[in-house]
Amino acid sequence: MVDALKIGILFSTTGPYGSMGRDARHGAEFAFSEYRQKGGFQVEPVFFDPHADLNAYLEGARSLLRDANCRHIVGTITSAARKEVLPLIEKHDGLLWYMCPYEGFEANENAIYIGGCPNQHLVPLFEHLIPRYGARPYLVGANYVWGWEMNRLARELVTNAGGVVLGERYLPLEETAVERIIADIAERRPSFVLNNLIGPSSYAFLEAMNDLAKRDPAFAPENCPVVSCDLMECELDDIRPGAALGQLCAASYFDTLATAENRAFKARVNAWHGSNRRVSSVFASAYTAVNLCIQAIEASGNDEPRRVRREILDHAWPTLFGDMVIDPDSNHAALPFHLGRINKDRGFDVIASRPALAADPYLTGGKRREPPKLRVIS
Amino acid sequence: MKTPNFTGWRAVILHQEDGNTERLCRQLGLLGIRTSQQWSPLVADDLPDLILVDADQGWDDLLPWVSQAPSRPVVALLASEAPGRIAWALRQGACAIIAKPIATSAIYPALVMATSMHRERENNKRHVSHLEERLRLRPMVFAAIEKLKAERRIDDERAYATLRDCAMRRRMPIEQIAAFFLGGSEPLSEVG
Repeated sequence: MVDALKIGILFSTTGPYGSMGRDARHGAEFAFSEYRQKGGFQVEPVFFDPHADLNAYLEGARSLLRDANCRHIVGTITSAARKEVLPLIEKHDGLLWYMCPYEGFEANENAIYIGGCPNQHLVPLFEHLIPRYGARPYLVGANYVWGWEMNRLARELVTNAGGVVLGERYLPLEETAVERIIADIAERRPSFVLNNLIGPSSYAFLEAMNDLAKRDPAFAPENCPVVSCDLMECELDDIRPGAALGQLCAASYFDTLATAENRAFKARVNAWHGSNRRVSSVFASAYTAVNLCIQAIEASGNDEPRRVRREILDHAWPTLFGDMVIDPDSNHAALPFHLGRINKDRGFDVIASRPALAADPYLTGGKRREPPKLRVIS
Repeated sequence: MKTPNFTGWRAVILHQEDGNTERLCRQLGLLGIRTSQQWSPLVADDLPDLILVDADQGWDDLLPWVSQAPSRPVVALLASEAPGRIAWALRQGACAIIAKPIATSAIYPALVMATSMHRERENNKRHVSHLEERLRLRPMVFAAIEKLKAERRIDDERAYATLRDCAMRRRMPIEQIAAFFLGGSEPLSEVG
């Protein structure tokens, strides 16, 4: 019997972004469960959990590539972790399937990006917010490249719109002492707040903004919303009940999307899970990454990364995000934009949407060339 | 800070075609740069916006500015660590190096570095030649001060202040005011 081909699954299920890692892992597990249910046996997962330790990511990637013979890895949540494992994946000529929103300015031949870069999340988000709330935002972020670069771009967008950034503050990962930032926001009275904090910092910030809004309705979400590009359904249970109600988030997928595909998908997830559960964008994107990887491996006849990449770039793939086209030059997926407002059921109501936007990871202005011709196969 | 944007630029890769140039072309294309590749000297009257040159194999006539300041940003593509090759790259005006074999993640940072260093170098060059010009005309300022002192019976300080005030009012360099004055016109009538 021929050995099964292996896909490495590399997520941290603990640490500051553990809830995202757990949901992503569940998404990958669900994709494999469906695959097996349909009689698939050629491809198997190998899981590695680095527990949010940056060095362990490298160890994990090494073990997946060398010991488990994986040529494909789905995973990493943060850019720091992705940058850590990419050189090793390049050396082994493997393929990293990265499925989280990130700050752009990367297009590695050994990676497939299906999580979105700023022209797919931050830019349309600001195009929505500035006319409605004004161009005087306050920027907060986690003290690493995601927070820095997202806020730098935000500042550029605001300046181009003739506005002004009223403040910019950073917190270390896991820091929850947000009082000084809140006091500053209360004094400066921005038109909205861009929140690029992560995990517990972000939850503490949202709760403190809720306390501020109770004291001064000028800071209620309808007047001065807190907006993010990385808050997910799976995190809303970690926030004090009601505290984030009405706040906004940009994503390419929300659990509440009213499409037939999504309803069918959620029914299958619930049947697998045994009870109703909300699907977050990271669950959906990890599921999609694994699914696409398996399909491309099966279509190529083996897991040779060059052939798999050629296959995946060749045509549009039906996914939860719509028919997904991955640009052969940048290896980035075109993705829809949705704006969600947190509802009382701890989910998101979709309040604005745009059809799939081609990725422009280096923000060249999108006039690089003609958009790829769509050809859907199913 | 504005996001660097190379959309619409033209680049020439002076390198023999191989996997490195292929990777470079792909990544430059992503940045909106039209790229051509050649392994022959660059023509001085048709310069691209950006030059990437093989510093391992490159020879002196490859770029049209031996021992002159480069008029375009230059990025060296280099595998060797030999001091002679690094020195060659520096002589061609390279402001950044991309190590070979080329990692895609090295390209955009090198472009941003090389173009901003080149811009800074051009600004400095302009600034230095402006200062040199003023330095060259300094004797005229001294002569004008001497003439003013003699004509108006004032001291050094007063004479200099007169020239400076006039230069400020007319928004001209003090050297030019001095030249007018020495040339016989009377730009100083309204001051002093």
